[in-house]
Amino acid sequence: MTVATAEPRTRTRPVRLGALLARPEVGALAAAVAIFVFFLLVAPSFRSSASFFTVLYQSSTIGIVAVGVGLLMIGGEFDLSAGVMPISAGLVNSMFCWYFGVNLWVGAVLSLAFCLAVGFLNGWLVMRTGIPSFLITLGTFFVLQGANLGVTKLVTGSVSSSDISAIDGFASLQKVFASSFTLGSATVWITVLWWILFVALAAWTLQRARVGNWIYAVGGSADSARAVGVPVVRTKIGLFMTVSFLGWFVGMHSLYRFNTLQAGNGVGNEFLYIIAAVVGGTLLTGGFGNAIGAAIGAFIFGMTSLGIVYAGWDPNWFKAFLGVMLLLAVLVNTYVKRLATKGRPS
Amino acid sequence: MTDTLSEHADRGLRRGEQLVDLAGVGKNYGPIRALHGVDLHVRAGEVTCVLGDNGAGKSTLIKIISGLHPHTSGTLTVDGVERRLGSPREALDLGIATVYQDLAVVPLMPVWRNFFLGSELVAGRYPLAGMRIRDMRRIADEELRKMGITVADIDQPIGTLSGGQRQCVAIARAVYFGARVLILDEPTAALGVKQSGVVLKYIAAARDAGLGVVFITHNPQHAYLVGDHFVILKRGGTVLDAARGTVTLEDLTTQMAGGDELAELSRELERQ
Amino acid sequence: MRPFLAAAAVAVLSLAACSDGGRQETNSDTSGGGNAAGSSGYTVAFVTHETPGDTFWDKVRAGAEQAAKDEGVTLKYSNDPDAGKQAQLIQSAVDAKVNGIATTLVTPDALAGAVKSATTAGIPVVGLNAGIDQYQKLGALMYFGSDETVAGTSVGQRIAAAGAKHPLCVIHQTGSVSLEARCAGVKSAVPGTENLQVNGADDSAVTTTLQAKLAQDKSIDYVVTLGAPVALDAINAKQQASSPAKIVTFDLNQEMAKRIKDGSVEFAIDQQPYAQGYMAVSSLYLYLKNGNDLGGGKPVLTGPSFVDSANIDKILPFTEKNTR
Repeated sequence: MTVATAEPRTRTRPVRLGALLARPEVGALAAAVAIFVFFLLVAPSFRSSASFFTVLYQSSTIGIVAVGVGLLMIGGEFDLSAGVMPISAGLVNSMFCWYFGVNLWVGAVLSLAFCLAVGFLNGWLVMRTGIPSFLITLGTFFVLQGANLGVTKLVTGSVSSSDISAIDGFASLQKVFASSFTLGSATVWITVLWWILFVALAAWTLQRARVGNWIYAVGGSADSARAVGVPVVRTKIGLFMTVSFLGWFVGMHSLYRFNTLQAGNGVGNEFLYIIAAVVGGTLLTGGFGNAIGAAIGAFIFGMTSLGIVYAGWDPNWFKAFLGVMLLLAVLVNTYVKRLATKGRPS
Repeated sequence: MTDTLSEHADRGLRRGEQLVDLAGVGKNYGPIRALHGVDLHVRAGEVTCVLGDNGAGKSTLIKIISGLHPHTSGTLTVDGVERRLGSPREALDLGIATVYQDLAVVPLMPVWRNFFLGSELVAGRYPLAGMRIRDMRRIADEELRKMGITVADIDQPIGTLSGGQRQCVAIARAVYFGARVLILDEPTAALGVKQSGVVLKYIAAARDAGLGVVFITHNPQHAYLVGDHFVILKRGGTVLDAARGTVTLEDLTTQMAGGDELAELSRELERQ
Repeated sequence: MRPFLAAAAVAVLSLAACSDGGRQETNSDTSGGGNAAGSSGYTVAFVTHETPGDTFWDKVRAGAEQAAKDEGVTLKYSNDPDAGKQAQLIQSAVDAKVNGIATTLVTPDALAGAVKSATTAGIPVVGLNAGIDQYQKLGALMYFGSDETVAGTSVGQRIAAAGAKHPLCVIHQTGSVSLEARCAGVKSAVPGTENLQVNGADDSAVTTTLQAKLAQDKSIDYVVTLGAPVALDAINAKQQASSPAKIVTFDLNQEMAKRIKDGSVEFAIDQQPYAQGYMAVSSLYLYLKNGNDLGGGKPVLTGPSFVDSANIDKILPFTEKNTR
C-alpha cells in the first residue's frame, strides 16, 4: 500500500489497443465502413451523393429516436412505446387542429405536452412500482396503439387522419420539421441536420455534462448511484421524457411530410431503435454505450435497408441481414463487457 | 497514505465530540419489526463497531443513518439537532457518507468518474454545464496515488481494480468530499486476509484523522483490531453495548457465536 | 415577466383563432336511415382477418353495419389476423347460436373445421373478400369479393395497353398471399414486372425504399401499389427520384381520390369493400327471410372496378363519406 507512492509517473494518457476496443462504437464503426465499401462495390447507383443523402434521410428518421433510446438504455431502461409514440404525437396534433379548426402550432405544442406526459408517466410508473420498464412500456405501447386507432376512428370516421395541409401554420411547421434543400444533385432533408444536432448534444451530455455521469451511473448500478447522492428517479424519468420528446419530433416530421397519418403505423419501429442502439455498442443491461454508437447503428440500418434496393437484390433478405448484424453486435458487446470488468490482482 | 485523510478531514472535528446519536431507534416495515430500541453513539475520532449475524438488523440500522429509510420510532440526532433523513443526499449534506460492501462503485465507469460521482465539478450552474474533466481526472489520480492505489489508467473501468482497492477508493471518495461520519457496511466481508488488512488500516487512518466511523461487520477479530466501542445486535435489538476497555475479544466472539444460548447448548450437549 | 405572459397569451389566442382547412361542420343525416337495429330479429356474426388500422376493412365494416341497420339485423363484428384465432371467433359465433355467419376465408385450411361446425349446426355461412376458390368446398352458401389474381391481371392488361414494359409491384406486407396474388396477376399480363418488398408500417421507410429503387432502375415505367397509403408515399418518392414512372394502385380512399383527380395517380382498381360487407349481410338476411340464393351457385364479384379521371367526379363524394 505504501510502495506505490514511490512508483514514478510515466505517462498521463496511454493509447492501448484494449482501451480502443473497449470504446462502445468502435465495432459498429468498423462494420459501417465495411458495409459502406461493400455497397459501393456492388451497387453502381449507390455511388452518388443523391443516394448517400437518401440513405442519411432514412437513417435520420430512425436515428433521431434511436439516440434517445440509446441514452435510455445506457440508463438501464427500455421504452417499447417509442415506436408508436411518433404516430400518437402526429395524430394528437393533426386531429385536434382539424377537429377544432385551430392553428397547427397550437396542436404541435399540445402534442409535445402530451408526449412529455406519456414519457413522464412511463418513468414515474417504472420508478414508483419497481416493475421492469419492459413491462410498463409494453403496456403504454398497447394503450397508445389502441388509442391511436380508436380515437382516430371516432374523430375522423376512418383509420387515417385527415389532410391538414390547408390549415394555418402548415407551411411554417413544414419548414421546421420536414423541409429539404438541394446540395449539388442531392436533396438534403432537414431531419438529417436535426439528427446530427441531437447526436452531438447527446454525445456531449454523456461525455462532458454532470447529467451524463449520472446516466452511466443509474444504468451501471442504480443503488450505488443512489448511495452517493445521484438523483436516480429524476435522471431516469428525464431519460424517458427525452425519448418521448424525440418521438414527438419524428412524429412532427411524418405529419408535416405526409399530411396524413395511418393510425396503425409505427408498430415494430421500437425494435429498430433498440437494434440501432445495440448495434452501436450499447449494453442491453445498461451502463455502457454512447450516442455516436447509436447514430452509427441507425446509419448501418439505413444503409443496409436501401443498399439492398440499390444493388437490385430481393429486399426480403433485409430482415435476415439485420438479425445477423444484431447477433454479431451482441456477441461483441458481451466480449467487451467481460474485458472491461475482469478483475485484476492489485 | 493518510495524507488525503488528514488533508480533507474536517478541521473542526474535536476528538470525542458527539456527531450522531441514536436513542431508542426502531423501524417497522408494515407489521414486521426490523429494529427496536437501539442506542448508538458516534463520536469523532472513534470507531463504533456494529456486530451481528445475518438478519440481526444491521442493514436496517445503516439505512436509517444513511437516509435510505427513515426510522419509525426513537430519535436520531445529528450534531445536536434531531433529524429524520429522507434521502441519501440529505445524509451526505450533513456529512454522513455510507460505503456499501457490494455497491461501493459503478463497475463499468472509469475510475475518475466513480470518484466524483454525485459530486461532479461543474463549470457553471446552468443545467447542461460541462464538467471540469481535466481537473477531475487530475484530482482523482493524485488522491489515489497518495493513498497508494496505482491505476495504470485513470480512465479504466473501476471494475478492473481489486475488491480491496475499490473499497478504499470509495472510502477515500467519501472523505475527500467532506464526510464527518463514515458508515462502512461489511467492507472486509468479501476480501482475503491481505486485502482486509489494507481496508482495516484505512479505517484506522480515518479514525486518526478525526472522523466518526461506524464499522459494520460480522467478524469480531476485525472489529476488535480497530474498534473503540462495540454494539452487538440480535433479532433487531441490542444485546451488548460496551466500550473497548470493558470487553475482551473472547466476550465478543462468544456473544457473536450465540452467547448464553451457546452456553446452554454446550451444557445440554455435555450431559449426553 | 408580466408583459411576457401577456404577449404569450395574445399569441396563443391569435393562434387558437379559427383556421381554414379543418373539419367541415355538417348537419346532414349521418344515420343513413333504415330500421331500428334488431327489428328483424336476426343476429349475424361478421368475422374478418382485419389487421387493425387498415382503411380497407374500415369500409367493409361500414358496409356491413349499414346493411344491418337497413335490414334490422343485429351485427356482431369481430376480427383477428391470426388464422387460428379467426377460427376461434367463428366457433364462438356458432356457440352463441347466431342466425348466420359472414366470414373471410383467407386461410381456408385453418378455417375449414370452424366453418364445418357452423354448417353442421345448421347456421348458414357466407364467404367474402377472400377464398373464392375454396368457399364451396368449405360449405359456404355464397361468396362476395373479387379475385386477386384476376384483379392483378386486369391491372396488368390495362397498363400493358398503355405501353408498360417494366412495372414495379410494391408489396407492403410480408408473406401476404393476397398481395402476392395481385402482383402475380400483374406479372401474368406484363412479364417484365418486378416485385419490391417495403415496410408498410413506416411511411418514411416506404418512401425512401421506393425512392432508392426508382433511382437505381430508371427503366421502371409504372409503379403498382397494393394499398392506397402506399400510393401516396409513391408519389413522394417519384418526385424525389425525379422518375417518369406512372403510379397505379389497388384500393381507394379519400386522399387517393383527390390524387386521381389531380392526375398524380393514373387510376385505382377498387374491389368495392363497402359492397362486400353490405352484400354479405344482406344475402344472409335474404336467405334467412326468403330463402334466396345469390350468384347462381357462382361467386358474386364486387370488382375489379376501375376509378380514373373519367369517373372520379362521381366517386369522389362517396370517398368523403368513407363508403368507397
